[in-house]
Amino acid sequence: MAPTVTNSLESFAAGAETAVDVAQIERQLAELWQLAAESDTAAVTRACLFNLVAICDTEAARDRATETIRIVTSRHPCRAIVLLAQPAATTDELAASITAHCHLAGGGGKQVCCEQISIHATGRSVAQLAGAVLPLLESDLPTINWWLGDFLETPLLFRRLCGVADRVFFDTSTWPAAPARLVQLAAAMNEQRQCVFCDLSWTRLEFWRRMTAEMFDPPECAAEVSRLQSAEIIYGDGPGAQLRAWLYGGWLATQLGWSAPDAVARLTFEQREEPDTSGCGITMVTIRSAAAQFIVRKNYGEQVASTVVHMPDACGLPRKRAFWPTDDAALLSQELDAMRRDSLYARVLALTVELTAAARS
Amino acid sequence: MENITATNPFREGLTTRRVAEPCALVIFGATGDLTGRKLLPAIYNLAHEGLLPAGFAIIGFARRAKSTEQFRAELREAVVAGSRFQPINEAVWNALAQGIYYLPGDYKNPADFATLDQLLQVVDRERGTAGNRLFYMATPPGQFAEIISSLGAAGLNRPTSRLVIEKPFGRSLETARELNRSLTQVFAESQIYRIDHYLGKETVQNILVLRFANEIFEHLWNQKYVDHVQMTVAETLGVEARGGYYDQSGALRDMVQNHMMQLLALVAMEPPTSLEAEVIRDEKVKVLRAIRPIPLEQVSQFAVRGQYMRGSQAGKLVPGYLEEKDVPASSRTETFVAMKLFIDNWRWAGVPFYLRHGKRLPKRAAEIAIQFKSPPAVLFAAECAAPLETNVLVIRLQPDEGISIRMNAKVPGNAVNIQPVKMEFRYGGSFGARSPDAYERLLYDAITADSTLFIRGDEAERSWQIMDSLLTGWQTAPKPFDYEAGTWGPAEAEAFITQDGRQWRRP
Repeated sequence: MAPTVTNSLESFAAGAETAVDVAQIERQLAELWQLAAESDTAAVTRACLFNLVAICDTEAARDRATETIRIVTSRHPCRAIVLLAQPAATTDELAASITAHCHLAGGGGKQVCCEQISIHATGRSVAQLAGAVLPLLESDLPTINWWLGDFLETPLLFRRLCGVADRVFFDTSTWPAAPARLVQLAAAMNEQRQCVFCDLSWTRLEFWRRMTAEMFDPPECAAEVSRLQSAEIIYGDGPGAQLRAWLYGGWLATQLGWSAPDAVARLTFEQREEPDTSGCGITMVTIRSAAAQFIVRKNYGEQVASTVVHMPDACGLPRKRAFWPTDDAALLSQELDAMRRDSLYARVLALTVELTAAARS
Repeated sequence: MENITATNPFREGLTTRRVAEPCALVIFGATGDLTGRKLLPAIYNLAHEGLLPAGFAIIGFARRAKSTEQFRAELREAVVAGSRFQPINEAVWNALAQGIYYLPGDYKNPADFATLDQLLQVVDRERGTAGNRLFYMATPPGQFAEIISSLGAAGLNRPTSRLVIEKPFGRSLETARELNRSLTQVFAESQIYRIDHYLGKETVQNILVLRFANEIFEHLWNQKYVDHVQMTVAETLGVEARGGYYDQSGALRDMVQNHMMQLLALVAMEPPTSLEAEVIRDEKVKVLRAIRPIPLEQVSQFAVRGQYMRGSQAGKLVPGYLEEKDVPASSRTETFVAMKLFIDNWRWAGVPFYLRHGKRLPKRAAEIAIQFKSPPAVLFAAECAAPLETNVLVIRLQPDEGISIRMNAKVPGNAVNIQPVKMEFRYGGSFGARSPDAYERLLYDAITADSTLFIRGDEAERSWQIMDSLLTGWQTAPKPFDYEAGTWGPAEAEAFITQDGRQWRRP
């Protein structure tokens, strides 16, 4: 093999970005993978289980997406397409580049690689983005759209990309005016029913949901579920903390079969100063029946939460659990591991909309 | 055991596996190799994953005198050496260590078992284990009977207890029945968990998914399309320091009767009506029952055995079996088996299942190959000099777990040249996640009372019934054929399959 060709393959596999013409992306990638297959120096295998389309509105978000994809592809190989849409720019440009994320596979020193295609659209060229993405999707594999910002801001692009997506990942924590947007979010989810919507802010709550659930596993505590009367949710600062507290409240009420007016009456939310956001904003939850109290609390100064049950005859030791990582890569991995259709979120969201409306009125 | 998700609405939609209920794990033979090398690292890994409850307790029971502190320190070393999470999390270990106890005792002494009972009652009170106990027999099989009897005499066989036993589950049909009798005199069959670590392997569990979650394979999975099935478990190692044990056992008992028969059952069984443990095990037993018995006088037509001689592996000279430590010079124990089984049911009538296992073979490999029949040679016979290769679906268990399919493709060019090509799926390449160790999965299942991946008594007995005729036949047969270490077994094993017009695969 000629040294220059080997170099381009090696730099691609090493993660260097190569600018390409948008129309030539597939051809360029095919050539590079062909080189890899023929190369006797680079032990490289291409792997792809799904398409991941990351939609960003700032360069910082694009960098964050690239870094997250680099981590996630070690566990979930995919074709990543990172879009940066900047409609407010004064020039109309559509530029593309390709790069690879390679990870050593177990045994044999072989590298498993995934490709990332980045497309940057400015000005009126943003309208061409969806058209540029569609032919790049690997056929017969699921497509996941990951919105790093508020997709309700770009309804046209959202709808076009939803048309080919199986799943939509988003994070209401990053939405500037999320509580007021929940009605629109519910409407968008209802409109795009073919997609599975996954709010990473809800994924963050799984820790608190699990801690709560574990308190009710012992039969004597499970028997108390139907007698639960009220809950107090205390939350601190940090992006999305208030919304997550509401979502948690909405979840409790949904699972306990409380109606919206019931939930408004039985749930209390209180914000307290707590700059540590490791508990994803919630600091303490107390759920009460006439005879018992079930408490999950973030331990002060620790990256740990614990549960305590105050109930006559309740058995079991207090449980402590370290908070799970809740960075983008961890949350994406958690959702990609499960690939579930979570109908619960839609139900919880419907009740949370009413809770937030009541809180605002 | 009650399904807690049904009574706890907060469990809906959680992606994480449920935490086991508080449980006391009593390990008999707690100072042995298995506890440190496999059990404790697996338990720590489960704790690290948050799958063990705060009230989880471990009680080590063995003859050797030592303190609980000493035992904890030894287990910590074992975890540091063997956990897949490195470095270990001190908080997780400390929480686990608080529930570890050691009790020196004799397996036959009622007083020691009364002390164990008292300790378990204390653990029940302090850690909320509420009588939920798992007794793990990490001892040599010769001690199973006395421990089980002592457990029964001490009243420790309550319905909330379970018993895990390691193979071998007997060494013949008669001894397997005897073992089952002694087990079921004390525990109900539903309380007995016969562990086969092969069933905890990811790829083995994937056999059912491959077959029943993919529409394309199951239609072809029968005598109409399958020519034969080859199962190979090849080891490069010799008997190492286990010469004494191995000589009493041999390749058939050590590998074929248990691991390979389980693989065969999973490959050949009918679709279960659900994923419930009993339903799956019923289907496995049905297949084992359908295996044609090997008549005593035809043993040599259905099986070949071998014994390795001195040879070379990876450029190093290695000793022959008879030169190994603790192996008698006159030993007739087989270190290689090749055999052929037929399953006399509608699906598999006439399809031979070839099983091959040996020590000191050239490569460490375990695979199941489904060899399909040839397509009709009407279209391409004129163009192709050689007959077309048949399609093969290979399930690789080790190393490099995965699945491959061989198919024929046209070589680019003006002529119609056909060559076999291979499509590969590798677990390591497609899923970056490291699979949990087999013991981790199986221990979690035993703790949560899920017996799907454990062997039922009738499965073990039926499997021995098939092997018994070989063992009996070999008693009067000439000694095993020799094969040079580092080769694929005796020449007779080659002849064994070529006489059927087939060839062994080279994994």
